[in-house]
Amino acid sequence: MYSPEIEALLKKKGVEAGGRVRVTAGKAEYEGILMPRVVAGDAQSIVLKLENGYNLSVRYGKGFEMKKLAGGARIKHKAADVAPAKDASKPTVTVLGCGGTIASRVDYTTGAVFPAFSPGDMLASFPELKEVANIRGRKLFDLFSDDMTPAHWQAIAAEVAKEIKAKADGIILMHGTDTMHYTAAAMSFMLPNLPVPVVMVGSQRSSDRGSSDNAMNLTCGAVAAVSDVAEVGVCMHGTTNDDYCLLHQGTKVRKLHTSRRDAFRSINVRPFAKIWYEDRRMEVLRDDYKRRGHAGRFALDDKMNPRVGFVYNHPGMDPAYVASLANHFDGIVVAATGLGHVSTNPKGDPLARSIVPALKALVDSGMPVVFVPQTIYGRINLNVYEAGRILEAAGVIGNGCDWTPEAALVKLMWVLGHTKDPKKVRELMLTNVAGELTERTGTETFMT
Amino acid sequence: MPEEKIDFKKARMKAGIEIHQQLDSKQKLFCGCSTAMQEKEPVAVVVRKQHPVASELGAIDAAAQYEYLRGRSFHYHVFRDETCLVDTDEEPPHALNREALQIALEIAMLLNCEIPAEINVMRKTITDGSNTGAFQRTMIIGTGGWMKFGGKKVPITQVALEEDSAAIVREGENGNGGKDPAEENGKATYRLNRLGVPLVEITTGTLEDFSPGQLQEIAFMIGITCRSTEKVKHGIGTIRQDLNVSVRGGERVEVKGVQELGMLAKVIEKEAARQLELLKTGKKVEKETRATLLDGSTRFMRPMPGAARMYPETDVPPVALDDVWLKQLREKLPEPWTDKLERFKTKLELPADLAVQVVGSDYLDIFENIMKKHPKVNAVVVANVFTSTLKDIGRRKLDVKRLEDRHFFAIFSELEKKRIVKEAIPDLLVNFVNAPDEAMGDALRKLNLTMLKPDELKEIVAQLAKDSPGMAKERLYGIAMGRVRGRADPQDVLKAVERAAKK
Repeated sequence: MYSPEIEALLKKKGVEAGGRVRVTAGKAEYEGILMPRVVAGDAQSIVLKLENGYNLSVRYGKGFEMKKLAGGARIKHKAADVAPAKDASKPTVTVLGCGGTIASRVDYTTGAVFPAFSPGDMLASFPELKEVANIRGRKLFDLFSDDMTPAHWQAIAAEVAKEIKAKADGIILMHGTDTMHYTAAAMSFMLPNLPVPVVMVGSQRSSDRGSSDNAMNLTCGAVAAVSDVAEVGVCMHGTTNDDYCLLHQGTKVRKLHTSRRDAFRSINVRPFAKIWYEDRRMEVLRDDYKRRGHAGRFALDDKMNPRVGFVYNHPGMDPAYVASLANHFDGIVVAATGLGHVSTNPKGDPLARSIVPALKALVDSGMPVVFVPQTIYGRINLNVYEAGRILEAAGVIGNGCDWTPEAALVKLMWVLGHTKDPKKVRELMLTNVAGELTERTGTETFMT
Repeated sequence: MPEEKIDFKKARMKAGIEIHQQLDSKQKLFCGCSTAMQEKEPVAVVVRKQHPVASELGAIDAAAQYEYLRGRSFHYHVFRDETCLVDTDEEPPHALNREALQIALEIAMLLNCEIPAEINVMRKTITDGSNTGAFQRTMIIGTGGWMKFGGKKVPITQVALEEDSAAIVREGENGNGGKDPAEENGKATYRLNRLGVPLVEITTGTLEDFSPGQLQEIAFMIGITCRSTEKVKHGIGTIRQDLNVSVRGGERVEVKGVQELGMLAKVIEKEAARQLELLKTGKKVEKETRATLLDGSTRFMRPMPGAARMYPETDVPPVALDDVWLKQLREKLPEPWTDKLERFKTKLELPADLAVQVVGSDYLDIFENIMKKHPKVNAVVVANVFTSTLKDIGRRKLDVKRLEDRHFFAIFSELEKKRIVKEAIPDLLVNFVNAPDEAMGDALRKLNLTMLKPDELKEIVAQLAKDSPGMAKERLYGIAMGRVRGRADPQDVLKAVERAAKK
């Protein structure tokens, strides 16, 4: 918003954002299109988009004059009019927009960038899609992925189930990247025995630039969506090059970099496949996935209890804080150090503060306490050190588990949505449900 | 073509100049990489594609662009200390480099520009692969400025601060057998160390009634205005010029990439002549963009692009300009070198071309310091030492970089006190290249360059005259000069010869 003085002037002159104006400030005179004021910046300056394309800020003050001119532009998005082609020989893929902007349309007259989602918009932006599949799609919601809640996961899962019923051959979920691996895990638990692939894609570089990773991720995602990998997958850049994408397993993937294209990596397992962009060739890297057309019966299973907390253990952790978690949650996940440790202080150091009594009190009250590795890579093992043995005895859940912190968190919500019985919770948590737990870790799975 | 006969005034030739000058900030415009551009061997190559982004432009345009880009791939050379994730388009830009902003503001102020209330960073869409992000970040630093030139005011429409693009790896450089790499299977190779180096783009208004030579001088003046800050890069490729040229009845033609300032007048002349020739033969001048060739002529590059496609860089918030800071900058602005040039011509009585050479040389600072400390020394003599004597010595494969300021001060101090003559300077300089730590007195004695006292000179000349009675004055002078060169002022030798001849 502009300052009240400027807003008043604009009202008086009858000028709205997008209108053409001439502005005089001292000796200088400028003509251009009035821009809306962005959140950041000086509210006492008006911003014009000049004829040469630049935005220029002019301070409102003494000697400032404004004249409304004819012409201007409307800052409004109009959808592209590309008709989605229907090719009977090609499979049908449904694209569901779950927030995040995978396609944009730029209006250079005003500099405005609009998210584009209609199938027409998408085909206009990614013509190669129609060479892979007939695309249909709709937007479910418009939000940053950090605003997602378990309720959004349930809504997405229900829409996926609807599309499966409507005979989609594959489903693509376009999603913001920050929490994509949480949603991927949630879909994995909520959509057991998927008959078709569900592929999540996003972009690490904004879609308003020609260098965005959106086109390659989406194209490779479409290849995955028509493949026989009937699993929840995440399809993102495999390297910094535009050479291939990796299709990661939904419960074994994590965002490991704030900004790089290849931020998503498989943890403790190989990805399902490599998908080469140039020739759209899928190179399968595993054979333990469910095939399209398998015999299992698909049914939506979306019950969740979102009252699960996440605690990051650190030196000097306050036991009182841990104890207080009883008031907020029905279960907690603890990101433990090393093989699965927190302070246990068996040697009675006078400065150390064991949090075992606090954890044990939670467990004894019937609250599941789940341990996950802070190291991200590797497996929890509570048998090696005394600390681990103390924690195992206290009743924490996780010994022998190689889950990612996020998959364990989502799983605990899902398990608590199904039962409150501590024994059953423990048993279900330690049973592999959606590939989140494995029995062996290949030597080739670290930092690849 | 009879270039010399063109009447540019009659042809109503108009031209606009756009100067791109790299700034010598320590770091790049939006990241912490060095701007040195010294690394030769890439440590990695990143391969990327680009895609058109939907816009209000027609569907046909987008489809054509899609097909074009689909067939192309861009190979980017990565350098260890001069490339980071920002350059490879793998990380958002860091905050705007304040050092570069300050240099650009100083330049805009020296060119009498209005400074905007805040700096808005824009993305200018570029799809030739020279920017990994498919856009160049650019921002207005000043508008509506001017520069004095020959009693007129040359309008400076705009000063912008922007990121330099990546440099394309040219013919043969990447072992592709001399073909234009852009043509090789749609593969273009770029070096990322230049990408992101800050540069200012200075745009003049449309200039009428100037000859090509004057236009070249204007470009020179803008260049030395930038150098007044002493914080711009110099050397090959650090300043590049683009032009707009038109003649009556023609169209505006854009000429890209004049690398050498000395070529500017020639390029303008040749382009104006080309347009006049087209018009004379009844042909049309196309509104187009042309590239400069080595001989100063131009070749067709592409049709003139439409207005630049720009939208805001949302990763960098608008940068507020603090009034107090701007006031401080204004108060501390360096003396513009254009004024310096004028002062050298009037106060120091340097001939115009010598003054230009001094201002353009690496020795400007020491030249000025010597003139300050030894004002009685003839400025032309000092200027000549720095603009030509040192070059001569360098050509003899001697390393003039071994000469330090103290050597120059010592020599010109001797000259001011009339203890040496100017003819002794080259030998002294050579001596100090070889023996930098020798004392002045020792050097003079060793080289036999200690100035003769008037009596000694008189005696030597008298003796020579006595030895060869009746010798012509000119010949006697020659022999005397041979004997006393570097130890006596030639004027004094001449006087001594005259006197001896009279006897």
